[in-house]
Amino acid sequence: MIRMLTVASASLLLLAACQQPPAATPDKAAPAATETAAVAGPGDMAPAFTLVDAEGVQRSLADFKGKTVVLEWTNEGCPFVKKHYTGAMQALQREATADGVVWLTIISSAPGTQGFVEGEEARAWKAKHQAAFTHLLLDPTGEVGKRYDAKTTPDMRIIDPEGRLIFIGGIDDRPTNKVEDLEGANNFVRTALADAKAGRPVQTAFAQPYGCAIKYPETVES
Amino acid sequence: MRLLVALLVWLTFAASASAAPSALDQALKAGAAPVAAGPQRTERIEAELVPMSAWATPGSTAIVAVRQKIKPGWHTYWRNQGDSGGPTTLSWSLPDGVVPGDILWPLPERQRLQSLMNYGYSDVVFLPVPLQVPASVQPGQTLSLRVTAHFYVCSDEMCVPEDLDLSLSLPVRDGAAPLDPRHGQAIQVAVASAPRPAGIEARAAFADGRLTLSASGGPLADAAPKWAYFFPFEGGVIDHAAAQTGQRGPQGLTLTLAPGRGLTANGLKPPLSGVLSTDLGAWEISAEQGAALGEVSGEGVIGDGEAAQTPASSTTPLAFLQAALFALLGGLILNLMPCVFPILAMKAAALSRSAHEPAEARRDGLAFLAGVLATFLVLAGALLALRAGGQALGWGFQLQSPGVVAALALLMLAVALNLSGVFHVGGGLQGAGQGPLSRLPGAAGAFFTGILAVVVAAPCTAPFMAFALGAALLMPWPMALVVFLMLGLGLALPYVLISLSPRLLSRLPRPGPWMETLRNLLAFPMYGAALWLAWVYGRQTADALALLFGAGLMLALALWLYGRSQAAPGKGRLAAVAALLFLLAALGLGVLAARAAPASTDGAASSAHLPSQPWSEQAVQTALAEGRPVLVNFTADWCVTCKINEGAALSSARTAEAMQAANAVYLVGDWTRRDDSITAELQRHGRSGVPLYLLYAPGRAKPRVLPQLLTEGTVVDALKDAAS
Repeated sequence: MIRMLTVASASLLLLAACQQPPAATPDKAAPAATETAAVAGPGDMAPAFTLVDAEGVQRSLADFKGKTVVLEWTNEGCPFVKKHYTGAMQALQREATADGVVWLTIISSAPGTQGFVEGEEARAWKAKHQAAFTHLLLDPTGEVGKRYDAKTTPDMRIIDPEGRLIFIGGIDDRPTNKVEDLEGANNFVRTALADAKAGRPVQTAFAQPYGCAIKYPETVES
Repeated sequence: MRLLVALLVWLTFAASASAAPSALDQALKAGAAPVAAGPQRTERIEAELVPMSAWATPGSTAIVAVRQKIKPGWHTYWRNQGDSGGPTTLSWSLPDGVVPGDILWPLPERQRLQSLMNYGYSDVVFLPVPLQVPASVQPGQTLSLRVTAHFYVCSDEMCVPEDLDLSLSLPVRDGAAPLDPRHGQAIQVAVASAPRPAGIEARAAFADGRLTLSASGGPLADAAPKWAYFFPFEGGVIDHAAAQTGQRGPQGLTLTLAPGRGLTANGLKPPLSGVLSTDLGAWEISAEQGAALGEVSGEGVIGDGEAAQTPASSTTPLAFLQAALFALLGGLILNLMPCVFPILAMKAAALSRSAHEPAEARRDGLAFLAGVLATFLVLAGALLALRAGGQALGWGFQLQSPGVVAALALLMLAVALNLSGVFHVGGGLQGAGQGPLSRLPGAAGAFFTGILAVVVAAPCTAPFMAFALGAALLMPWPMALVVFLMLGLGLALPYVLISLSPRLLSRLPRPGPWMETLRNLLAFPMYGAALWLAWVYGRQTADALALLFGAGLMLALALWLYGRSQAAPGKGRLAAVAALLFLLAALGLGVLAARAAPASTDGAASSAHLPSQPWSEQAVQTALAEGRPVLVNFTADWCVTCKINEGAALSSARTAEAMQAANAVYLVGDWTRRDDSITAELQRHGRSGVPLYLLYAPGRAKPRVLPQLLTEGTVVDALKDAAS
C-alpha cells in the first residue's frame, strides 16, 4: 500500500517538477560586444565637431589647432558638478587659460532635462558661476557628447596641439559630491596639463569618469 | 458525553498552551527590546538602521542593516555604480571595541539608462553589515550604534545626494538571539543570498580588443546556466553598457566582454574581481591573468540575461496563484499520506454511516470542511504570528512540543476506543435518527474530525506542500493565509465532494450490521496512530513514557465505565462517578506527562540505519574539506514521510554500498524537537519543514537537493555523481 502511495506521489511530484521552473525567458539576441572600439581613446585623434556657443557663434575644434584644448562636460544641477564649481573648477579654468589653453565647457543636456540652457540663460551662465572657460558650447542633440563617449558630468578630455586625445575621463580620484573631498584629491586634468606643458607623456591618460549621467535625448542614436 | 469531548479538547489546547508561553514570552520581549531610532526620510528615500537579531551577544558578530525604501523611479547604487551615480557609503560611530565590517552587497539590478548602464537597487533593499561585538561588553548593556549613510539617489532625470543619520540601540544579552521580529528574516535572507566566493576558478585575458573571462568549477561544474553576466568591482575595466556574450562548457563558462576605457588605456591589472551572476546563482570571483581554462565552452552560446532580469523579489500575482494551486494539490495528496490515513479511516466510518441520508451527509461534509479550514486558519495564524515575533518555526511545529504529542496520543486512544464500541458519542449508531438533538453531535463530530485531520496531517509535508508553504511563509500574511486555506480545501475536498453528490453517495452500500464491523476494523489504524504518537513522545522526553501509558490506561478504564453506564441506564450513576474519577486521574497523569522534561541528549536519530553523525554546518565543512561527499538528512520522528524514506531508500544494502564507494559522510539533522539552526538551514533551501535531503559534493558550493520521496536509485545515482 505504502509503496503504491509512494509511487503515486512520486509521479505527481515529477509532473510538478515539469511545470515548476518559470523558465527564464531566453535572452534577446545579444549584439556583438566589441563595437565600442570605434570610440577614440587616449592617443587617438580627437573627433572633429562644430557647435554653437552661448553667444550664438559657431565654434569648431579645427579653429583651435595648434593649441591645447580642454573639453569639460557640465550640468549645473548635478551635485558632482556643484562640488567642483565651489571654486576648484573655476580656479583650474583660470590657471589653464592663463597658460594659453583653450577651455571648452559643453552642455549636452537635451531640452527639458536637467542642465539644459539656451538664449539669455546660456549667456548668463558664465557670470552666474564665475567661470573662466573660453567658450560655453551647447550640444542639445547630444551628438558631440556621444561622439566623445562622454557619459557623466563632469567628464573631461584634453586634446594636444596636434589634435590627439591625451587625457580622457574623470577629473579626479574622489568620486563623490563632497566638497571636503576636493582637499587632497589628485586632479588628473591639472597633472595632465602640467605633463603636456613640460613635454612629458601624460601619466594618467584615463581615469574612470564619475558623476551624473548626461541627460542625452533618447532620440539621438548612439 | 459532550463534557468528555470538551475536556479532551481542553486538554489538547491546555497542553499546547503550556508549551507555548515561553515562546510567546520570548517573542514579546524580543519585540520590545531594541529601541530603534526609527526611519529617517527625505522626499526620495527612507532609511533605517535595523538589527537582524533581537540582541547582540558579547564576543560575537551582530548583523545590522541599512534598510532603504526608495521612491519608485529612483535608485541607489552598488559598490561599483556603473556609468553614473555613486555607491552608498556608511560612516560609523560605534561604541569602543565594536568594529564594523564591509557591507555585504546584495546582487544589484542592471539599470540601463539610454547608452549608460548602472548597477544599483530600487524599491526596498537591505545593506547588511557585520559588527564585531567585543567580549568585554556586559549583558544588560545597550550598544548605541550610529551611522551616517550617504546615498546617491538618482532618477533618469537627476541625481540627489542624501545624507541620513541613523541610529539604533541594540541590547546586549547572553545566549543565541532570535531574529528581530520586524526585519530579521529579510536581513537573514539578504545575508544568505549575498554573492560570495564559491570556489570558482577564473582567468582573464585581454587580447585583440576583447576581454575574455573564463570561470570553472564550484557551482559551475555540470551546471547549465541559461545566461551569465559579470559585474566588475572596479569601474572602467569593462564597458558596462555593452552586451556580454558567453559560451558554456561542461566545467564552466566563458564570457566575452567589451573592454572599458580604463582597460584599453592602462591594460589589465589582475586580479579582475567581481560578481558572476547567472540564472543558477551569483558568486564572487577573482580572475588571475591567464589563458582560458579547460572545458568552459563548446556546449552552446548563452546570453547575459538582461531580458530575464527580474525585479527584486516581490510576490508576483503569478507566484501567488502558483503557490495557491500547489497548495490545493498538496492538500489533495495529503489524503494519501501515511500520517493522515487513520483520520481517513474516521472519515470513512462517518461517511458510511450517513451515506444514505443526503441531507445529513451534506451537513457532515460541510462541517468537516469548516473544521479543516478553521484549524488551518488557527494554526497558520499562530505560525505566522509567532514567526513575525521572530520565532524560528516551521510547519508541523505543534508536534515538536511533547505536551501536544501526549494529548494527541490520548485523543487517538479515545477515538479508537469509540470505534471499537467501548463507548458511544451522543448515542452513536443506535441513537442516530432519535431526534434533532442527537443529530447535533454528528455535525460537531464532523467538525471535530476536521480539526483532528489537520492537526495530525500538518507534519506530513507532502511534496506539493513544500513548495507552496515555503513560498507562503515569505509572502505578505493575507496571501500566506489564503495559501494555507487552499491547502485545507484540498485536504477536505474529496470528502466534501462525495458528501455533496447524491449520485456518489447512492453508490455506497446500504447501512447494516457490516458497518459495526467496519467501525471496529477502522479502530486499529487509530490504535496505531496512538502508539506512533506515544513512540514520538517517548523519544522527545527523557523518561516520562510511563506517565503517558498510565494516563492512557486510566482513560481507557474511564471510557469503558462510561460505556457501561450508557448501556445500563439504571445503574449508570455509580459507573459515571467512577468514570469521572478515573478520567481525572488520566488528566492528572496526562498533565504530568505533558510537562515532562524534554530529553537532553541529542543523539542522531537511531532510526536511520546507515552509520550517521549529527548534522552541523561545521560537520559538513569538515567532511568537504577532507574531500568527501556529504549526504544530509533533515528528519523528525513525527514525520512519517521521513521514516518511509529512511526505511526504503536510505537503509538498503545498495545505498550503503554506494555510500561506501563514494566515501560519503552521512549526517542527520533531527528536527523532532525544536532546533533553530535546522529551521534556519531548511529556510535557506526554501523549505519550512522536513524531510529535506541535501547532497554536497567537494568542490561545489551548492548542495544538490534530492527529491522528498526518495528511491534507492535516486540516492545511488546522486552519490555516484557526487563522487565523480
